[in-house]
Amino acid sequence: MTTQELEIKAKSVRKRIFDFKTRSGVGHLASCLSIVDALVSLYHDDNTRFNHKKDKLIFSKAHGSPAVYPILTDLGYFDEDELNKYCTPEGILRLHSDSTIPGCHFVGGSLGNNIGYASGIAYKANFNVYVILGDAELYEGAVWESLMFIAHHKMNNMHLIVDRNQLGILGKTEELLKIEPLKEKFESFGFYTNQIDGHNFNEIKNEFSQDNSGGPKCTILNTVKGKGVSYMEDKWRYHTIIPKDENLIKQGREELS
Amino acid sequence: MTAQREVFIQALFEKAKNDKDIVLISADMGAGALDKWREELPEQFFTTGIAEQNAINFAAGQAAQGKKVFVFLMACWAARCLEQIRYSCAVANNPITILANGIGLGYAPSGPAHCPTEDIAYMRSINNIEIITPANSNFTMQLVDYILDNPKLRHLRLERNYAKEMESYYAEDWSGYDNFDSNIISQGINPIKLNGEKAALLSCGYMLGRTINSQEQLLASGTETSVYDIWQAKNIDIKLFYKTFNIYEKLITVEEQSLSGGFGSMISELNSDSRLNKPLLRIGLPDKYIFENGSRDHLLDTNGLSVNNIYKQCARFVNNK
Repeated sequence: MTTQELEIKAKSVRKRIFDFKTRSGVGHLASCLSIVDALVSLYHDDNTRFNHKKDKLIFSKAHGSPAVYPILTDLGYFDEDELNKYCTPEGILRLHSDSTIPGCHFVGGSLGNNIGYASGIAYKANFNVYVILGDAELYEGAVWESLMFIAHHKMNNMHLIVDRNQLGILGKTEELLKIEPLKEKFESFGFYTNQIDGHNFNEIKNEFSQDNSGGPKCTILNTVKGKGVSYMEDKWRYHTIIPKDENLIKQGREELS
Repeated sequence: MTAQREVFIQALFEKAKNDKDIVLISADMGAGALDKWREELPEQFFTTGIAEQNAINFAAGQAAQGKKVFVFLMACWAARCLEQIRYSCAVANNPITILANGIGLGYAPSGPAHCPTEDIAYMRSINNIEIITPANSNFTMQLVDYILDNPKLRHLRLERNYAKEMESYYAEDWSGYDNFDSNIISQGINPIKLNGEKAALLSCGYMLGRTINSQEQLLASGTETSVYDIWQAKNIDIKLFYKTFNIYEKLITVEEQSLSGGFGSMISELNSDSRLNKPLLRIGLPDKYIFENGSRDHLLDTNGLSVNNIYKQCARFVNNK
């Protein structure tokens, strides 16, 4: 896909996420919107190394995993209608993705653990494993236990993606409890690390098309939580709030159309 | 008396030599048998360092890849990675075996941090886990084939030193009693000494030794009872439980755990759920952490689990009409 086509696809993905989230009122809409561009690039841009038929993408910040559902419908993993049945007894799509959903892996919902699991499936495997981590998830100590292990074993088939949207539930990470300097931390743990604009398809393409021969890789994506819906963008209160007001829903849909 | 961890790892090592899928992960725990493993099978050995959470998460991933995974850690630290055992293994259905070394007061006098006296309670609360307390090394060795043949999430509660009174049991030709399946690895209940039907004394692990000694005192004073090894802390067949213990007047449990949700609680649930409804006495450790110096035996003696105290409680309960 061209950059323009990727942008159109991303908008469509965001709109569908917005629709099934506001319809159901369930989950973490803002956390999904920040990661959409990276996911669209990985799944739809042939220039990136990720091959969804062979590689595995695991959400460690699984509350953001519904962002992948519209992408998986476009790729034929399940019917588009499943989006309408999100989190209903009739549907297969859950708030946290898991391996019962076609195209998804492992379980979701416990932060800090899926990276360690991912290392277990990646060890000497003939496929690549991508792990999406939230920035506030990095407070979990188990993450750093796993980083040491992955780097020690030089798991070049592992690629960590940190959704650096700057916000936890209670506010900005740097005001609540500093996690910077992140890039230096990952580098000191043995990861080949880049920090890029998580909403710039050219930068994303450039980053995800490189090989991992330099060691296990970490990409820190500078993102905006709630990306695409102006009144949600970078607002920490929207971590757990899904718009209910009709006018706000209308505005959100218009901005994503 | 060879430590249970040694015989298990040694027997597993023999299997691992011919099965590349068997992997052992140590959270910075050592054993003599492990030295040989590390030297001869380095591709099938991992250490995570002192990082139990990552050990379990990595193990879960390896299990998902079809590996037969064993995680060796100190029993007390299973609490530290309980979330990973539940989430990455139980919820996600990744069968691994945890080799938990040093249960109960086995690490005395290291203090309460090293002595898991509630682990049966918190481990058995996890869905679809199997918890095994082998009474001696004979039994431990025979678990290797059983575990390899039946993949499942398991918590293996290993004694640093098992009760010397249990030394002669579970030899390879040991078949228990006529009315029991000669295949010991099938039911979780095994008769140890059948001397009478006034009460059945139920225990596991190290406390079986003290239970047998208490039973002898009871016998000397004219109270005839029987001792059973209940080596599974979950998944006991309810019909077998009913059939086995229906002949007894009363039930008594003896455990090296606090009484909240532990071994005795499990028996109480079985007693109720099976409608057996026998009078039941639970004997165990007090609901507190033990900050005392002394050996395991000393701490058991000073915390209500001396042979004499067990005997007295049993005698009072059995003879109280």
